[in-house]
Amino acid sequence: MRLKRLLAVLNQIRAKSLLVVPLLFSTACKPPTPTEQMASVISWLATAGMAGDAWLRHTTPDKYTRQTLELSHDTLLQISDDLLKSLPPGIDTASLDNVLTRSRSRIAQMARLVEAKNSPAFLSQLDSLRADQKIVKQFSDSIESKQ
Amino acid sequence: MKLIRDVLDKKLIDLEQCDMGRVSGLVMYVGERSQPHISHILIGGSTLWMRVHPALARVSNRLAQLWGPKHKGAVRIPWTRVKSVGRDIKLDVEARETGALAWEIWIARHIIERIPGGGKEEVE
Amino acid sequence: MKKVLQITLGIITSVGGFLEIGSVTTAAQAGASFGYQLLWAVLLGTLCLIFLVEMSGRLAAVSKHTIVDATRERFGFPFYAVVMLGMVLVAFMVLVAELGGIGLSLQILTGLGFPWWAIPVSFLVWLLMWKGTFRLIENGASLLGLVTLSFVVAAVKLHPEWGSAAHGLLPTMPGDQKAKYGFVAVSILGASISPYLIYFYSSGAIEDKWDESYIPMNRMIAGFGMTFGGFLSMAVLVAAALALQPKGIDIDKFDQAALLMTTALPKWGFYLFAFSMLVACFGAALEISLAIAYFFAQGFGWNWGEDLEPSKDSRFSFVYTIIIFLAAVPLLFGVDPIKVTMISMALTAATLPLTIVPFLFLMNDPIYLGEHRNGWVSNSVVAIIILISFVLAAISIPLQIIGG
Repeated sequence: MRLKRLLAVLNQIRAKSLLVVPLLFSTACKPPTPTEQMASVISWLATAGMAGDAWLRHTTPDKYTRQTLELSHDTLLQISDDLLKSLPPGIDTASLDNVLTRSRSRIAQMARLVEAKNSPAFLSQLDSLRADQKIVKQFSDSIESKQ
Repeated sequence: MKLIRDVLDKKLIDLEQCDMGRVSGLVMYVGERSQPHISHILIGGSTLWMRVHPALARVSNRLAQLWGPKHKGAVRIPWTRVKSVGRDIKLDVEARETGALAWEIWIARHIIERIPGGGKEEVE
Repeated sequence: MKKVLQITLGIITSVGGFLEIGSVTTAAQAGASFGYQLLWAVLLGTLCLIFLVEMSGRLAAVSKHTIVDATRERFGFPFYAVVMLGMVLVAFMVLVAELGGIGLSLQILTGLGFPWWAIPVSFLVWLLMWKGTFRLIENGASLLGLVTLSFVVAAVKLHPEWGSAAHGLLPTMPGDQKAKYGFVAVSILGASISPYLIYFYSSGAIEDKWDESYIPMNRMIAGFGMTFGGFLSMAVLVAAALALQPKGIDIDKFDQAALLMTTALPKWGFYLFAFSMLVACFGAALEISLAIAYFFAQGFGWNWGEDLEPSKDSRFSFVYTIIIFLAAVPLLFGVDPIKVTMISMALTAATLPLTIVPFLFLMNDPIYLGEHRNGWVSNSVVAIIILISFVLAAISIPLQIIGG
């Protein structure tokens, strides 16, 4: 009987603390570092590239490919805005901004080409995107070494 | 028999082997000239919530006034109707006649049966 | 023969409980971010689950009581109420994630956003519970769940280095991203050791009318069923390690996970992924809805049973009806199912002690189990699981904040 009462009290306390947890989540998540943001940029550029590859091989439907490319574009825009404000000194912000803007524009164009079902033009954009990815990777290595 | 261990919160089974809820509480009779003894088993009502916190019992009573069957309080089963106490408690009553299934029947008739495929809650 | 076919209970528990949006997302994240390094977390989760599921089946077969029945009777209503509160809140979040998972699978197949699918999908889940029997749900989900074997095919076709994969079965610390590694490890364990899974299994054993003669078969079913699920999770992790990690792709959105099998299985990989997720999340949605309804019905002593007509167990039917349609609401407003998944995995890990600690007492209670009580091996394993659950409970929230 005492055990039952003790357990009930202990677990009432526990239950109340569970209610506090969602509040903690919403207020306490730390912002990502420039290195983490660059990793996200690389991830979404690669996602666009892989989705593009899959579409060219006819392994994914048009709607999914277009939506994934649009999602990549929108996510990259959001990350770029934050990233460019928080770069460590010694990084050529203007050049990075340039290559990110170019990449996003290519991805947006690729989404339009999926709708138009224009594979040759799509392939050309994809090849250029891959070249941009290599440049972004160099920036990422540079940022990581400065942190 | 240990009341907390062997009786409280145990499942109640009626004459026809139907589940009729769990023991929410016990009523003890304390007479002037007799030994204290259990007089009734309580099922449902706000008894259960009273065991957690009286405020929850008040909330439960208020909510029960807004909707549900007419008989809203705890169902009292005389201890004399207990046939056996084992893993479950077998009673010498029919669940429907005690009011223990009032909420089950009310929800079946007012909600479940109105949805296609819900079936019919039988009246024996 | 009938007992052997009961293996379907093990498979559906596994497909619905083990392989679902949480375990696939966390396994894919683990593979994409850390290669083979977190295979040990999947293995640990699987082993814990085999023991817990076997015990829950044994309790039901011998005592003819489910874990919920026994928890209420042994520990009283106030304790049961707190366990119920924790379990139902977390299970509800997981249900939102699973319905969202079905919606996301349909989104990638059709292009129509997952919020549009919230109501139709909830309705379908509800309809199957309303009109279907436990056996139909069990067998149907198990059979369809076999499509998830495509993850294994994809992983093998990518030619993993088996030696490196074997190393991943032992815990190692990563070079960097320690907080994220910890968070993903906790999430994998939270996704694997889901309490609703053992509540569902013990209720399923009662629905299937098990008795003491099922004890040996129960061991096989728990072992085989959970190994099947663990194996599939490992396949997802390996496929992500080979297909996504080399490209630097991290899984933030479901659309990225959908690319998992496109390299290994060019023609059908995308569609197999979508269909596997559809089936796994559907099975999980059914299982969780039933588990929540079982929790209320068994705890309060109502009539319950998936084989009964809804009006014969009206309160039980009412609960799952309300729960399923309430779970659709956040999705209608576009709440991201993946975010809900990650938070619910961490919360599951944080509330594990609420389930496992009482379970240890129950499995040693002669009133319920007689001579079939836990031996020293099972007790030792549960003690280790309790230790793990307290560690997870302590670190899951801070890791969610730092590494999530």
